Amino acid sequence: MRKNPFDFGLLFLLPGLIGFVIFFIWPFIISLGYSFVESLRFPMDKPIDSVFVGFKNYLDLFKNESYLMSLRNTLIFMGICVPLNIVLSLLAAVMINKVSRYKEIFVLIFLIPLVIPSGSMIFFWKALFATDGYLNYILSLFSISEVNWLESEITRYVIVFIFIWKNLGYNIVLFVAGINNIPKLYYEAATVDGAGAVKSFFDITLSNLIPTFVLVTIMSIINSFKVFKEIYLLTGSYPHESIYMLQHFMNNMFYSLNYPKLTTATSILVLIITILSQALLKYERRKSV
Amino acid sequence: MRAKIFDIVIISILTLLSAIFLFPLLVTVTNSFMPSSEIITNYTSKLSIFDVLNGIAKKFINIKLLPGTLTASQYKEVLIDQPSYLLLMINSLKITVPVVIGNVLVSLLSAYGFTIWRWKYKEAVFLVYIIVMLMPLQAVLVPNYIVADMLGIKDSYLAIILPGIFSPFGTFLLRQTMKAVPCEYFEAAKMDGDNDFKILLNIIIPQMKSGLAALAMLVFIEYWNIVEQVVIFVKDYYKEPLSVFLSRISQDNISIVFAASCVYMFLPFYFLMIGQKNLEKGIELSGIK
Repeated sequence: MRKNPFDFGLLFLLPGLIGFVIFFIWPFIISLGYSFVESLRFPMDKPIDSVFVGFKNYLDLFKNESYLMSLRNTLIFMGICVPLNIVLSLLAAVMINKVSRYKEIFVLIFLIPLVIPSGSMIFFWKALFATDGYLNYILSLFSISEVNWLESEITRYVIVFIFIWKNLGYNIVLFVAGINNIPKLYYEAATVDGAGAVKSFFDITLSNLIPTFVLVTIMSIINSFKVFKEIYLLTGSYPHESIYMLQHFMNNMFYSLNYPKLTTATSILVLIITILSQALLKYERRKSV
Repeated sequence: MRAKIFDIVIISILTLLSAIFLFPLLVTVTNSFMPSSEIITNYTSKLSIFDVLNGIAKKFINIKLLPGTLTASQYKEVLIDQPSYLLLMINSLKITVPVVIGNVLVSLLSAYGFTIWRWKYKEAVFLVYIIVMLMPLQAVLVPNYIVADMLGIKDSYLAIILPGIFSPFGTFLLRQTMKAVPCEYFEAAKMDGDNDFKILLNIIIPQMKSGLAALAMLVFIEYWNIVEQVVIFVKDYYKEPLSVFLSRISQDNISIVFAASCVYMFLPFYFLMIGQKNLEKGIELSGIK
């Protein structure tokens, strides 16, 4: 490793890096500036007439109830989705590996929801989950009273279901490959040492899957943000409180042209994600050495 | 014998799960062959005069797996009678194709750059890529908007396409995939006196075909499914891609919504069918270090 960054590597990286800086980093730095000013004349491209207010926007944001609600909901949603997706896809991957003859067809089936555009499914989800929808019809057959699937506390779990439906396949592929990469020798050695199936699952399978876990977590976080598309198409800009997400808040700030609030929220999110990704990569490095 | 029974249990569980996963898709496909009158009876819960006469007080939406009569009339309406539909599909292609081509090229060069770059702080630069990759779309909308405004491309597809080309996910995915190419290949080529560009062309690219195909597919799916950016950057409705239009059609014109959905998901579905192996392999390789 050298101190001087200039070599052929940089040359190859340069076209991408320039675009990345122009379209993401540089405007982000500019927008970071918005989070420290207040102006009566937003919207505008440059906040002329603006007053530097230090961390006031940040302090205000932490008193803003809809922001706090959206942050809390996003964290709760991720806290449910990411681990649930990991556990379910790992279970499915283990099962698929046990019946490896049918591996291809099962993996294909679980991958299909990933490629279906959200717009194509919205009508179906609505027909299923509406108050006069099919699910309530089935409940009514058992004389169970209607459930308000799309506008109550339950909505969160409806979205979790859609998230799992859409994203299970990607993780299954990663786990199936990860499990297949563990040398069979390890298991044989463990059996000789008298370890049972459960013990070798925890000692060998899980501990050898750590790089996969890190990647699966990264992908699940990305995708748990992306499920906003479904939330938005199903429930609009102002959904039930339990699924009012950070993205709703940001969207609504964007439309009301409240850039200081929006960029302040973004900066805080960048901070959270930086800490999170650092922790993930540190964990991976420590475990894989 | 016990192993056999165990297999059967696993296969049954997986088959049941598959059925749940496929159900939404199946309904969409079969119902696209339903006559519009049947759709309207099934998917609206308004009581008709006959229902009232029959003493039915409440009606539910009824999802039927099989149509009573088979007809292609929905498809005729979508594909022939309403040419606007195909025009909007061309809009989708105009956004998606440049992003896919551009992003795959840029990501390949960047990933290779990151692989051979020998600067001390390159992992810190890469961490910035990961952080931006983990951000939800809404957080990068303001940066995107600022740049689009400065470049004067706010009202053109370029405002969506250019950030798409430089979005960091591809670099991340391909760099992971490149780690799977054995080091000996690099060294052997270096010994032969090949320069970095030749190594990329003759050794890396052939080794990474599935990684590249997987990235192309994932980017295609994402931009085929584009919603949020369009709402911000595209103001004329005839310039909208199909994804946005489709969410509107599901309110106004439910009698053709299933065929419209099917036409829309055909391309990504087709790519999955011809590229399942590559997609899986590409995702797999990204998980192996």
